[in-house]
Amino acid sequence: MLGLRALLNKSTVIEQASFFQQTRNTFILKRRWPPPLHKKNGRVPKLKARHFVYDLIEDTNVNKKPDLKVILNQFVDGAGNVGDILSLRPNVAYKEFLLPGLAVYATPDNLLKYKAAENKSRASSDFSSPYVQRTINCLSRIVLQITMNKTTPWKLESWHIKTSLRKAGYIVPEEAIIMPPKEITGPDLTLQEKEFFITVKINNKEEVNVRCRIHHWATGLERLPWEEFHWKKPLEALFPEQAEILAKMTLPE
Amino acid sequence: MSGTLFRSLFNSLSLYNCSATRSLHTATVYYAARKGTRAKARAKKVKVEITKVGFIPHNQRGKDKLAKTIINKHLDDSHKSIPQDNVYPLRYYRWPVYTAEEAVRAHQETHHPSMYNEPEAFVYAKVEINMEGVKKNRYIDNFSRLTLLPHYFPQDEERTILAFCKGPELIKQVAEAGATMAGSTELVKKIQEGTVKLGDYDYVIAHPNIITDLVPIRGLMKRRFPNIKAGTLDTNICDLVKKFAAGIQYRVIKDENQQNFGSVEVPIGRLNMSPSSIAENIDILLKDIQTVRPKRDGLFITRCIIVSPPSSEKLKIDPFVHVDRTLSKEVQEDSDDEDNVAVATA
Repeated sequence: MLGLRALLNKSTVIEQASFFQQTRNTFILKRRWPPPLHKKNGRVPKLKARHFVYDLIEDTNVNKKPDLKVILNQFVDGAGNVGDILSLRPNVAYKEFLLPGLAVYATPDNLLKYKAAENKSRASSDFSSPYVQRTINCLSRIVLQITMNKTTPWKLESWHIKTSLRKAGYIVPEEAIIMPPKEITGPDLTLQEKEFFITVKINNKEEVNVRCRIHHWATGLERLPWEEFHWKKPLEALFPEQAEILAKMTLPE
Repeated sequence: MSGTLFRSLFNSLSLYNCSATRSLHTATVYYAARKGTRAKARAKKVKVEITKVGFIPHNQRGKDKLAKTIINKHLDDSHKSIPQDNVYPLRYYRWPVYTAEEAVRAHQETHHPSMYNEPEAFVYAKVEINMEGVKKNRYIDNFSRLTLLPHYFPQDEERTILAFCKGPELIKQVAEAGATMAGSTELVKKIQEGTVKLGDYDYVIAHPNIITDLVPIRGLMKRRFPNIKAGTLDTNICDLVKKFAAGIQYRVIKDENQQNFGSVEVPIGRLNMSPSSIAENIDILLKDIQTVRPKRDGLFITRCIIVSPPSSEKLKIDPFVHVDRTLSKEVQEDSDDEDNVAVATA
C-alpha cells in the first residue's frame, strides 16, 4: 500500500515536472496609488483596494529582441564566406542559418575556432565574393541590346559593350569584358537578326556569358520598325562556334 | 398678455408710489438684431453636400485612398550596400556617384557617332531640392531665376531684349552686347506712339540714368518696369544685356503631392563642349540655386543628376563638391529677425 502510494506520488511528481513550461513573461508594474509609509515599529496600515491598481511599465514579452550574431561555417551565397560574422534578426538567424547548419552562435569559443579556419579557407574558397553568384545569375539572364548607329560606320569595341551594360544597369569595367572571337563591323542590317555572346570576368575569376544583340539606331524615316517582344525571339548565332553555347543559354519568357 | 396685465396692475398701484415703479420693466424685451447678424450666421453655416456613393464591392473599397499613399520622392538608398566586386548589377547597390567630368564623359560615350550619333546633344542637370522653409510645415514658393553660365552654348530659343540708356556711346555699346533694341527718350516716344510694341520683347532692362524718363510709359510696362529687385535695372547695363541674352532661365517647381520636393531640369551645356567647362557650368548653377536657400538646418539641394536625351541614363553627381551641405550655425542664428527670404528674381 505504502509502496504503491510512493510510486503514485513519484509518477505524479514527474508528470507535473514535465508540464512546467518556460514562460518569458515579465511584466514590470507600478502601483498607481502607492501605500503610505508607516512609523518605525508602528502598525502596518491595511492595504486597500486602490493599492492593488497597477500601471504597466513594460512587458518584456513584446520587446524587440536584439540582433543575433552568428559565424558562418561555410560559404553561403549572398551572405558571406567561412568565418564571417553576421548580425541578423533572431528569427532569420535561426531559420536560415542555424537550423540548416550553415552557421554557429558567435560564442567566444566559436570565435576562436573560426578565426583559425578563416585564414585557412580564404584561399581555397570557391567564389571571390558572396555576391558573385547573384551577379552571374543576373548577367546570364539578360539579352543585352547594343545600340549601334545605322548610318555611320563602326567597329564593335569593348567600350561599346561597357556603355550598353551600364545603360542596362550593370557596372562592368572594360578590362573585365572578353570580346567575341571575330571583329564585328557595321552598319550591317543582317546583324539585326543575329546574336552572339561576350564573356564577363568577375573579380578576374568567375566567368559568365552574356547574350548580345545589335540594334541599329536611327531617327526619322531611317528608323527601324518596333518589334514586339524582340528579346523573346530566338535568333541565329553570328559565329557558328558560339551556336552550341547560345542554344544552352535560356531566353527570357 | 401677462405683461400687460401686470402693467395695468402696477399702473393702478402707481397712485401710491409712482416714481419708484415707472422704471420697472416686466414685459419681454425685444432687441432688434444688429444689421447683418443673421446674414453673417447664415454665411457661417457650411453647406454639407451629400454625395451619393453607389455600391462598391468590399474588395474594392478604399482603393482611392491607396492610390494617394505616395512614395517619398526624396529617394534614400543609404540602406543599400556599397559594391565590393568590380562587376555588379546596379539595382542591389547604392547609386554610383560620378564627378561632373566623369558623368559628361559617360554621356559622350553613349552619344558617340558609332552609337546614338548625337554629339551635340544637350546636357541637363536635374537638381532635386528640399523645399522646407524656416518654419515647420512652411514651404518655399516656386521660384525662377536667370543666371549666366561661364561657358556659353547655343540654345534653341531666341530672346529679344529692349534696353533703355542715355548717351550715344552707351547705346552703341549696349547694341553691340546683344540687345535687340536700344535707345533713350526717342524710344520712349515711339512706345507711346505705338510704333514699337513692348509685347514683342521678352525682357525690358534699363540704366538708372534714364529711369526718370521712363515714368510716362510705366503704365504700359506695368510689372515689367525695370527695377533693382527683379535685376532689370543696373549701372553696368552691358553685362546685364549679356546675362539676359545668353543666361539660362529655370524654374524650380514644387511637387503637387509632396510639398517638400522641388525639382528643376536645367540645360548646362552641349556634349561637344569639354567636360571641364560643363563641370564649371554645373558649379555656377548649383551655387546660384544655393542662394535661395532658406536659413534653416539640413539639406537644401538633395540630389543632382546629369541626363542627356535620347539616352535614358541618369548619372548622379555629388552636389556638395560645389556647394556647402549645410548652413553654418552662425548664419542660421543671425537670420532670426528676417524671415524666410525666398524671393524670385526673374
